Amino acid sequence: MSLRPYLTAFGLQWKIGLRYRIAVVAGLVAQMWFGAVTLMAYASVYHAAPDVQAPLSLRQAMTYTWIQQSLFTLLPLGCLPAIGDAARTGAIVYDLMRPVDMWNWWLSASLARLLGNAVPRAVLLACVAGPLAMLVGLGAWSLAGPASLISAALALLSITLGALLSATIVMWWNILTARTLSPLGSYAVGTPLAVLLSGMLLPLPLYPDWIRPFLLAQPFAGITDIPIRIYLGTPIPGGVTTGLGLQIFWLTALTFLGRLWMRQTVNRLEVQGA
Amino acid sequence: MMQSPSRTLSDPGLYRRMAGASIVAQLRYPGTFIIQAIGNFVTTLLSFFGIWSLFHRFGSIAGWDIGTVAVLYGLVNVAFAIAETLGRGFEVFGGEYVRTGSFDRLLLRPRSTLLLLLGHELRLRPIGRFLQGLFVLAAGLWLAPHVQWTATLVLPWAIAGGAAMFLGVLIGQAALCFITVEGLEVVNVLTYGGVEAGQYPLTMFGRWLRRFITFVLPLAAVCYYPTLFSLNHPDPLDVPTWIGALSPAAGFAFLGVMVLAWNRAVAGYVSSGS
Repeated sequence: MSLRPYLTAFGLQWKIGLRYRIAVVAGLVAQMWFGAVTLMAYASVYHAAPDVQAPLSLRQAMTYTWIQQSLFTLLPLGCLPAIGDAARTGAIVYDLMRPVDMWNWWLSASLARLLGNAVPRAVLLACVAGPLAMLVGLGAWSLAGPASLISAALALLSITLGALLSATIVMWWNILTARTLSPLGSYAVGTPLAVLLSGMLLPLPLYPDWIRPFLLAQPFAGITDIPIRIYLGTPIPGGVTTGLGLQIFWLTALTFLGRLWMRQTVNRLEVQGA
Repeated sequence: MMQSPSRTLSDPGLYRRMAGASIVAQLRYPGTFIIQAIGNFVTTLLSFFGIWSLFHRFGSIAGWDIGTVAVLYGLVNVAFAIAETLGRGFEVFGGEYVRTGSFDRLLLRPRSTLLLLLGHELRLRPIGRFLQGLFVLAAGLWLAPHVQWTATLVLPWAIAGGAAMFLGVLIGQAALCFITVEGLEVVNVLTYGGVEAGQYPLTMFGRWLRRFITFVLPLAAVCYYPTLFSLNHPDPLDVPTWIGALSPAAGFAFLGVMVLAWNRAVAGYVSSGS
């Protein structure tokens, strides 16, 4: 089996993500604003209650927020736009006729779309929130370095798994789109789930203690929360192995079930349009 | 002044017709509408769950009780939901009117362009945010310790001021499209970012941000000060509380400035071609 078609699908979507440079800058400004508002709010909350032993220190909470903001476009907010269009116009039949494995074909496109959006933004924001903030004297508000070299390496491995996991969840939104013939449902369901459960809204370790085990065990935690925890060196119950293990478990489970669901959907797909 | 024929509708009558047509159109797809409204409700409710979790862990939001924060949160969300409902035409103005050149057609009609764009769509989807905001607002009034009876007058006045301010932002955003053609997503910093900043007490922010959301975008005038007045909460920065009864007027002043800017921008409009 040749890898080439999947690499082509990847390359195409990757380039689409890189094409909109002004959108990248606009996104950067928005993320800096949301980052600043959130950071000031956290700083003020932490300073008002100095005796509370929070699971994250203020510095860690700030770093967590910066990394979350920079990886916002890596979250599975909805289906791949190209598939949404294809479902509406009926062009989805062309995808069905291709002599490729459709799951891998869509997956490589979805992954490239996420990475093409997220990588330039993440690098830019990391530069602004890290070294640049240090230089202008905002060191206390900046992105802190990793806990150690080993945790940096493990975090890199973990974020790779996280990106794959996110693309796999996007695949579920893609199938939902193919099923309902409209991308709107996937956005209505996907965006709130991703924003809350990934820790974008509030770092997952800061939620009330009774709900934290559930929040760690659900699949969205594997996208950014687990990599960030490894980067910060904050303890995960059971250690780094649990973190990586959870990511691999969800990746396997969602791929297996997703493939089943896709087969069933494709078999009964009714296409509209001519 | 030309005598208008008797069959011509008055401005409010015309707006009612356009709004009615828009509502009927949106209810053509009741399933989509219900899913989107529920998604909207859940997303915004979850974001309050985030604030509540911070409160739960730290015992207060930087010294503020949860009731006061809930009132602020409800106020800004209700106001924004109203503006989102009315101002959809301005939000999509760049892509749908300037880039395509269909704004030329609006200019041929013997009515105010503002009225015609308000009539573009009366969007029903923000009803989720609206109901959720009201719900949190009511809970906040129930929890807050010193609610004044004047709150029944000041809060609706503040909501009106806030809706006017956000509508002003949307009109300003549309006026910018005459220069940028496509809509600028950076303006989201003032809309969604404004909601984000408005739901926390003003004192939690650094000085530059406090000044920005008081004097540039009068967010504090439509949220923070009316809330202090309604709850008889002294201002930690020693601004007299009675300010809150008058300050929502700043929202209308902001709208007025944006309407002037709009009229100037329309006067200088050059079509992008047919």
